[in-house]
Amino acid sequence: MTYINSPRLDRELKKGSAELLILSLVESRARHGYEISKLIESRSDGMLKFNVASLYPLLYRLEKRKWIEGHWVEKAGQRRRRYYKLTKEGKKVLAAQRNTWQSFVAAINQITGLDNA
Amino acid sequence: MPDWKVEISKRLAGLNLSPTREAAIIEELSQHLEDCYEEWLASGKTPEEAHRLTLAELRGSKLLQRELRRVERQVSQEPIITGLHRRGNMIADVWQDLRYAGRIFLTKPAFTLVVILTLGLGIGANTTIFSVINSLLLKPLPFSDPDRLALVWQASINDPSSWNIISAPNYLDWQRQNQVFANMAIFDSAGKGYNLSGDGEPARVSGVRVSASFFDVLGVQPQLGRTFLPEDETPGKHQVVVLSDGLWRSRYGADATLIGRTIKVEGEAHTVIGVMPPAFEFQIFSSPRQLWVPVVYTEGDKDRGSNSFICIARLKPEVTIEQARAAMNTIGLALSEQYPKENNGVTATAILMGEFGYEEQQSTFFMLLAVAGFVLLIACINVANLLMARGVTRQREFAIRAALGASRSRTVRQLLTESLLLAMAGGISGILLAVWSSNLLLKTLPQSLKAIPFRSLNSITIDFKVLAFTWGITCLTGIIFGLAPALIFSKRDVNESLQEGSRGTSAGSGAKLRQSLVILEVALALIVLTGAGLLLESMMRLVKVEPGFEASNLLIMNLSLPQKNLYYSPPEHPQFAHDLEEQVGSIPGVVSVSAVSHLPMYGGMASRGFVIEGRPDPGLDNSPGARYSVVCPNYFQTMGIRLLSGREFTEQDSQNAPGVIVINEALAQRYWENEDPVGQRIKIGRFDTDAPWLTIVGVAQNVKQDGLDRQSRAEFFRPYNQAAWPVMTIVVRTTSSPSAFLTPIKQALARVEPDRPVSGITTMNEILYNSLGERRFPMMLLLAFSFVALTLAAVGIAGVVSFSVSQRTREIGIRMALGARKSDIIKLVLNRSMGAALIGIGLGIAGSYGLTKFLSGLLFEVKPMEPNILGIVAVILVGVAFLACYLPARRAAKVDPMITLRCE
Repeated sequence: MTYINSPRLDRELKKGSAELLILSLVESRARHGYEISKLIESRSDGMLKFNVASLYPLLYRLEKRKWIEGHWVEKAGQRRRRYYKLTKEGKKVLAAQRNTWQSFVAAINQITGLDNA
Repeated sequence: MPDWKVEISKRLAGLNLSPTREAAIIEELSQHLEDCYEEWLASGKTPEEAHRLTLAELRGSKLLQRELRRVERQVSQEPIITGLHRRGNMIADVWQDLRYAGRIFLTKPAFTLVVILTLGLGIGANTTIFSVINSLLLKPLPFSDPDRLALVWQASINDPSSWNIISAPNYLDWQRQNQVFANMAIFDSAGKGYNLSGDGEPARVSGVRVSASFFDVLGVQPQLGRTFLPEDETPGKHQVVVLSDGLWRSRYGADATLIGRTIKVEGEAHTVIGVMPPAFEFQIFSSPRQLWVPVVYTEGDKDRGSNSFICIARLKPEVTIEQARAAMNTIGLALSEQYPKENNGVTATAILMGEFGYEEQQSTFFMLLAVAGFVLLIACINVANLLMARGVTRQREFAIRAALGASRSRTVRQLLTESLLLAMAGGISGILLAVWSSNLLLKTLPQSLKAIPFRSLNSITIDFKVLAFTWGITCLTGIIFGLAPALIFSKRDVNESLQEGSRGTSAGSGAKLRQSLVILEVALALIVLTGAGLLLESMMRLVKVEPGFEASNLLIMNLSLPQKNLYYSPPEHPQFAHDLEEQVGSIPGVVSVSAVSHLPMYGGMASRGFVIEGRPDPGLDNSPGARYSVVCPNYFQTMGIRLLSGREFTEQDSQNAPGVIVINEALAQRYWENEDPVGQRIKIGRFDTDAPWLTIVGVAQNVKQDGLDRQSRAEFFRPYNQAAWPVMTIVVRTTSSPSAFLTPIKQALARVEPDRPVSGITTMNEILYNSLGERRFPMMLLLAFSFVALTLAAVGIAGVVSFSVSQRTREIGIRMALGARKSDIIKLVLNRSMGAALIGIGLGIAGSYGLTKFLSGLLFEVKPMEPNILGIVAVILVGVAFLACYLPARRAAKVDPMITLRCE
């Protein structure tokens, strides 16, 4: 799996899947940007990592499309943070993207024989 | 802890994000970096290492910017708070300002609508007047290369600007001798009616004799056939005619085969050789011409002293009008020496055709434009006041802008953008108003204001020039009403405004400015009102003027009579007066009937010199002259003109009877001041002619011949049977509304003069009404303007007073809590507000001195600074101002002190 770290593949893969990742992460509850980036990193065992320069523009794009919604939330003793949660529209998109992704992965697997591996 | 904000801001520079958006992104991202940094520290890194690793999150300097630019490319949706220290992007700023202004206005639709309507009214009034001026005065003449066309006049050597029509021999000499004109032409100064017969019902159309070069000088081509050739001026070959498009369509059904055919003009066969295009409507001082015939010089035309033509010429390409004028003067002076008898004291001069003949209209319309400008200024003041009142409630917004670093110029720009946006909306509604009202205006425009030589006004178009004018006044308007509020509110002290809490304050300088605007508004309204008042008073005095005849139930129409030799020879239809009486006078309901050559107020006049029997010969230059009219029996009775002494003409004053004459009061007073002129004898012309002596048989009361506002001139009347005239105006007095008698009268006239069309059918009342058109039109417009001005001023005053009262609710509450009565509060408010109105009235009186000077030409027996008018106008304005102040004052007095103070 060394090639997955090559910057080009990294970018292409992320581009296709990043939206899906973020939408999935804010599905269950609202999360802030740092939390999202940490979750992606930890749940992928450090293989996927978003830095500030790519994560936030993506969040803003999703927000602009009205798939997620950001709110400033102030908690006692903490500085305020911006939490993002999935919108109704976002839920539909997430469901559709999940389907597409599953079909895509299944197709790749069938062709490459990875299913049987 | 490192300051991440600086690092992030650096990377956001150049994105031109809105300040709030930028601030939000910086906050969110710096928090993320802070979390990273803390995590690195917690994992045992040194602060330096942690700092380096955290910064790596931003991955160079370009990535964040590039990614964000993609997302934030569309303009931010956030409210815009302007002016953080960033490099200005002018277009983006203007766009932002416009959008912001639009949103602000949409939140207050009523306010916005009032402002737009107010401005639309002001801008619309100006656009309307300008569109008329544009169509009437600013359009180039409808001829080819009109800037090279000139009019050449005879002029007095002592007064070169006294233009006069010319004689044919002088014209022919000018034509031969000049080196400055490429081509010259003449045409009959008066033009005349021509009878068309043969094809259907006889008709009388307006035509004119022109020299063969006429159409070439103007540079117009016929749409069909040809125009005149030099040989068409030769007697025998001259029976050719060119028709106007209108006549060709209406009488001949646009029949293209008409060219080469003959039609009957004045009973003689003429070959139609050409039809002019629709745009060619050559008119001077009267209605457009419908046909043109070539001039063939008659014996009368060949008299060098007989001026009856107008000369047009086309300048050679390199010659200026000044050079032409000098050259013509030289030629004129030489001719004056050569023909000392006929050309005594006269020379020649030239002017550009486009500069001729609209001075009167120009002054009327520019006066109206000035008044419309005042109305717009009042509208601007109202809007400025409204904006200032709103500005006070928006002070907190301005303070926040300033606190966030908005420069004063940036705030001024935002406010001016708002004003300009309002002005634009007002401008658009103004143009819509003008489209509608300019054509309404065209319909009410009196003929005298429309009749500008060589131009015709059939429609008023909103063209590029009008739009440019409107665009100009719209921008100016936006700046005028927007600048004062913008300057005032941009310089507010930030701390003061924020500390005041949400309640707006009564801004000291703003309040003063609002008062000054009220003063100006009242002054302007007074000026407009004074103008309208003076014109109205003039009109009221005019309609009271006795015309000298009884105008009601008088039917008027023209009839041309067979008369080859004009003016001096006996009538070719000597039975005319008798037949007229017999045929028309016998119609039931006709009280009496007669005819006259020059009906009062109907346009046209003739005058003759005369000598008085038994008095010394005054010599050629000093012989007395008077207006000259030819009338049928019963003329004075039919018109209701009183005879002061003697009798009027009867059928017995026939061709072979002794010559008789009736004179008017003015003539009697001038030459027979202390004696009875009846029985005295005069001779038309000079002592040494063989003209008959005419005995004065009657003296008639003075009649206003040229209009109610003009002096009655000395006049004498001759009986038709002794002095024929080719076109007579029939006057019929009826028992009731004259229009009911039109058909039987026309039928009767057809029996009197078969094949002779009647034309110009009207009533004397209508003539009287139209004679006042030139005054009525500006008066009506000024009345309309003054109504608008008064309404706007009242609304403006009430607005300012209401606003200042609402700002002082607390003060009023305290006063009332301390024992002030309602009447005290009303007095307090009235004192302050009426003071401004009274100062405005004073200033307005001074200002009307300026405007009314321009009105003096339109005034009748009224002085420009008539104290009565000024007094009435001032009282009206004081009354309106009082009402406008009193209503808000009474509301203020209803304030419950407890509620007010508790609210505090």
